Amino acid sequence: MNKSKKNLKDEKRIYVRELKTTKYLKKLMFNYFIKAQIFSRIPWKYTAWTTSAFPIEFLWAYDIYPLHPENSATASGARKASLNLIEYAESLGFSRDLCSYFKTNIGAFDKKINFTIGGINKPDFCCTTGVICDTHVKWIQTQARRMNVPLFIFDIPHEVAGTDEKTRELYVDYIVEQIYEWQDFIYDLTGRKFSEKKFYSVLYKSDRLCELWQEIYSYRKLKPSPLGFNDTFAQIFPLVLLPGIDAGIKYYEKVLAEVKKLAAEKKGVIPNEEYRILFEGIPFWHKLKFLYDLANLNAVVVYEPYTYAFGPRKPLGLSVEESIRAFARLWLQQPYYYNLDNRIPYFEKVIEEYKIDGVILHNNMSCRPNSTGLIDLKNAIQRDMGIPVLIINSDMNDPRQYADEIMRNRYESFIELIKQNKKK
Amino acid sequence: MVEKVKKIGYFDSSHDLPEEIIMAAGFVPEKILGNVNSASDLADQYLFKTFCPYSRSVLNEALKDPKRWEGFIIAHGCDATNRQFDIWKYHVETPFLYFFYKPLKTDKLAKKFLRRMIELLIETLKKKFNVEITDEKLRKAIEISNTIKRLLRELASLRAEKNIKNSEYFNVLKRALTEDKSLLIAEFTNILNEWKNRTPFTNDKKRVLLTGSDVNYVEFFELLDSCGLRVVRDDLSIGERYFNNEIPLNKESDPIDAIIEYHLSIPRPSTKHPSDPRLDYLLKCLKQTKIDGVIVQNLKFCEPYAFDSVWITNSLKSSNIKVINIERDYSGSFDQQLKNRLEAFKEMI
Repeated sequence: MNKSKKNLKDEKRIYVRELKTTKYLKKLMFNYFIKAQIFSRIPWKYTAWTTSAFPIEFLWAYDIYPLHPENSATASGARKASLNLIEYAESLGFSRDLCSYFKTNIGAFDKKINFTIGGINKPDFCCTTGVICDTHVKWIQTQARRMNVPLFIFDIPHEVAGTDEKTRELYVDYIVEQIYEWQDFIYDLTGRKFSEKKFYSVLYKSDRLCELWQEIYSYRKLKPSPLGFNDTFAQIFPLVLLPGIDAGIKYYEKVLAEVKKLAAEKKGVIPNEEYRILFEGIPFWHKLKFLYDLANLNAVVVYEPYTYAFGPRKPLGLSVEESIRAFARLWLQQPYYYNLDNRIPYFEKVIEEYKIDGVILHNNMSCRPNSTGLIDLKNAIQRDMGIPVLIINSDMNDPRQYADEIMRNRYESFIELIKQNKKK
Repeated sequence: MVEKVKKIGYFDSSHDLPEEIIMAAGFVPEKILGNVNSASDLADQYLFKTFCPYSRSVLNEALKDPKRWEGFIIAHGCDATNRQFDIWKYHVETPFLYFFYKPLKTDKLAKKFLRRMIELLIETLKKKFNVEITDEKLRKAIEISNTIKRLLRELASLRAEKNIKNSEYFNVLKRALTEDKSLLIAEFTNILNEWKNRTPFTNDKKRVLLTGSDVNYVEFFELLDSCGLRVVRDDLSIGERYFNNEIPLNKESDPIDAIIEYHLSIPRPSTKHPSDPRLDYLLKCLKQTKIDGVIVQNLKFCEPYAFDSVWITNSLKSSNIKVINIERDYSGSFDQQLKNRLEAFKEMI
């Protein structure tokens, strides 16, 4: 019987291997969260809420401890705690159409839940940017107002398709000016001055972390892939919160060693890797077993722009002014929010390099900016690369937007399409 | 022979485009309002139905008949403007498509940056259409804009005094945003004289302040008319945000400085930071005008306003102001449930 036609519910599940080094990640995360609890209570330690696409290095450079409501929301989702929190936020009047991370955070903060299921403490201040979405700005505005803490927002202009170099330079000028304003904001709030030495140290360590991440990632080009999405969605933790300090580097060195060993032994994530998938968007944290549904069809996700995006290399060997300018330029375009002019060739290059057989695009109800352009992306990939693309409508943290049986059916049909396509 | 009016169509999610630059370049700026009575099938080829229906409708209009306009400008306001720009670039057949980034903030850096963006827009228009945009032309455009804003302000102030339907108010505004302003001055003056002679406001109507997502179609105002609710104040972009302030131009001032000053001081939408001045404006309206209640409405999938609606509603309620919070679909026909709620609100206030 053809495996891809098996009923997933009735079959014995395929074993999906996880990295052994994950046990160190759990320790790393636990230490981070314990420190977050302690530092939130010590008057001379400063903590800040921030969001994705905000350079955490800007916090570590001042020894400010980052707290990440999105990251905490993923914990709620993965621990099946998000629905109650979301419904609580909706009971306050927040629309069902608003970001489920935001609503999870409203519930988690108000209900003071434990950090192991996504709880988060009140910070000394908040900082964010709208480069990914309006939501980040509105969310942090809302919570800063509710908690009565200071707020700094970076206004990052959007580099749309066709933006010319002259316009881009003006955007960079504006960002650089705000970075200097940020230094004043931090000084006024904490009395801490910008330290060149500390800045370079953080920048170097952040780059080293990203260098390791990119090297780890490159092993996913191999068949079978020694690393799956089931690994990377957790492994990005150091990139999200620890770029600029040693802890993440030490951990990634361990991961790299294990991945190298697995690659040498030709050990894949699943026993029989037949179909290699690219997954675009944030995963369904409340239904991470979707990866096991795919595995049962001998499919493994070997690339996610979402997890790759957290690890861009940093500008090194430049003066402080040049480094800040390079940082500003880097900020304008990242894989998670690429414009279509960059997004389409980026996907096509990855499909080639990682030998992708099919692409899943997540039309995420909670991330409309990332979901905009998916139809053009789908059409371009199918036209240029000749591989099947599946668009699924769901939500990263709201389990009400995911129906098991319907999704399984869709995966089965999709894998069948890939199978037929590979025969051509 | 009548010369064809050359229009530049624009899409913004608030009042974000300095129209006077377009006017000084010899074009009529037209805010594309979408078409609530037509399906957005063309746009839905590229955008999911879970995205802002207004933005889909605007794209649909541009896809349907792009040659109606000499070109398009998308001015940044919300995610729909920048993320959907690429879709426009790939699919709308036009010789000119431009993205204007209006800053999120209003501080001194934003002011400096806005100048750079305006200068870049001027330079681009000059080059593309081979036109001159002089200070003199800018001053002339500003004068026309200010005259229209002054007239709109006077017209709007009559809403609380005279028997003027919501739909009449909206239709005047719609014309100001879509037609040649220089040709509207005489007509608006006549309307103003006519409205001044209207019968007084009748007590069977309740006076409301309308806030929330921008309303782009008359049918919503007709619904409020049918429920006996009269909008006497608002803070909408097709509303007071558009005309509350004048562009502060005097003989000595630089016209671009005046435009910048204007754009950074107009009643604040939820798409900008900080958004607290939005509440301040609403409270000012409530002080200035006798108002029975506030309608906080949100267009389905309009996120910036959905975030703020809880804070705005709670803040107003804590001041003992009667508030109704509604979500509306982008539709010209309304379900009975919404009508019932609005009628009940009227009874309550």
